[in-house]
Amino acid sequence: MSNRVLITGLNIITPLGLDLESSWAGIIAGKNGVGPITIIDTEGLQTHIAAQLPDSFDSYSAGFIKKRMADQTTRVTKMCYVCAKEAVRKSLLDFDSFDKTRCAVILGVVNTANNSAEKGTTSKNRILKGMNNAMSAWISMEYRLLGPNFTITSACASSAYAIGLGYDMIKSGNADIVITGGADSLINREDIEGFNELYALSVNNDPGNASSPFSAGRDGFVIGEGAGIMILESEESALRRKATIYAEMAGCALTSEAYNIMAPMKDGEGICHTILSALKNSNVKPEEVDYINAHGTSTILNDLYETMAIKKVFGERAYTIPVSSTKSMIGHTVGAAGVIEGAVTVMSIINGVIPPTINLNNPDPELDLDYVACTARKKSINCAISNSFAFGGHNATLVFKKYL
Amino acid sequence: MGKITENTRAEVTEIVYRFFSDECEVDINSINEKTNIISDLEGDSLMFLELIEIFKKKYSLNLELKTIAKYILRHPVETIGQLIDTQLLMIEHENNLVNL
Repeated sequence: MSNRVLITGLNIITPLGLDLESSWAGIIAGKNGVGPITIIDTEGLQTHIAAQLPDSFDSYSAGFIKKRMADQTTRVTKMCYVCAKEAVRKSLLDFDSFDKTRCAVILGVVNTANNSAEKGTTSKNRILKGMNNAMSAWISMEYRLLGPNFTITSACASSAYAIGLGYDMIKSGNADIVITGGADSLINREDIEGFNELYALSVNNDPGNASSPFSAGRDGFVIGEGAGIMILESEESALRRKATIYAEMAGCALTSEAYNIMAPMKDGEGICHTILSALKNSNVKPEEVDYINAHGTSTILNDLYETMAIKKVFGERAYTIPVSSTKSMIGHTVGAAGVIEGAVTVMSIINGVIPPTINLNNPDPELDLDYVACTARKKSINCAISNSFAFGGHNATLVFKKYL
Repeated sequence: MGKITENTRAEVTEIVYRFFSDECEVDINSINEKTNIISDLEGDSLMFLELIEIFKKKYSLNLELKTIAKYILRHPVETIGQLIDTQLLMIEHENNLVNL
């Protein structure tokens, strides 16, 4: 049997909901998850808004996490752990029936957010809370998984990279199951100040239109937070246990621009190379792509260059492929963006619905693709791609297909 | 500190049981001397160190971590009963524990 890689578990925690179903419902309804920041004091900062998780997250997570673990983990690690628990539960995976040495956990994590926003950090738990490998370690321990267990960091593309590596592990026959994904939050004073200094973060404090990818008035990204878990499984394993199959992961490309620590390569050359490589690696022709879940950060350069790259890859057909940005609704979830947006892409394939790009009431005249403005759209999708691009030139494009 | 009395043993036992009950969120009545710290309570090695700190402070013990480490390497602790016995030895012998 071929080593096809299937998605047999999926969950996300976003500002629009604490699980996949509620988040998806909010996303296709075009809800705006952005609002005033309440979990920290923003006095003196330029930015006062973000897309925070619902307040109920703390009580929700307490139902999954015992006191001992709660004391040793940050809020972001808890997001990831809870997200994984629900993904595994819904996947009906019984790890005791697997060779656990062939079950891996690969997460994309920028850090655990053990910063000034984190409560309860003491000298006793500082190291455990701050370990960047904490999330994968806790998940691995939960299920006693004995395969590779590690964390990779590639900024905003971190969890997309994790999915890519998980895909490779199964494709190469080195694993049967890989729990991938990640979690992140930049809602803390240090990160807000830092990204403001870099002119990357929006200073528009109107939650109603600050995150406005592809619009004329965009002025930077809006911070989001959340987690996502995607369980990848070999086709052989999934069919043997009669798993629910969400979609097939057809392939991906993980590339480096080797150009600039912050800015994308001019005219979207690096992005173009990434998308083309992903299609080639997936044995997918450009004309097969039905939907593009864009990185779409709402920054001046990303949205321009991503648009230019799409035009280069798809030619005239670029104007007829729906493109949308999930970040318009849930902000930029940074290390978690790759998996959350990958999950949204998979849900688009399953449901035949393309999520909207909200706040796109005043399009940038230079950006003239079909961005699915403001309202979701029904469309049968057989193949879709999800883009993630990061400071440092870490690019990733993931390719998903309906499993036939 | 010197000789261990019945009162000391009772006090240490009470502290250990209470500690694991609180930290592991289990009914104190479900803990006994044979309870395995890792497999039954899902405890961790840090708990042992935290208890040592509690007893060092409570009994003003002159006890270095390297002494404890050397002793534990030769006398592994797995159950609540073994843990209580080890804590009592630490209270009784302090840094001389290494010679036992």
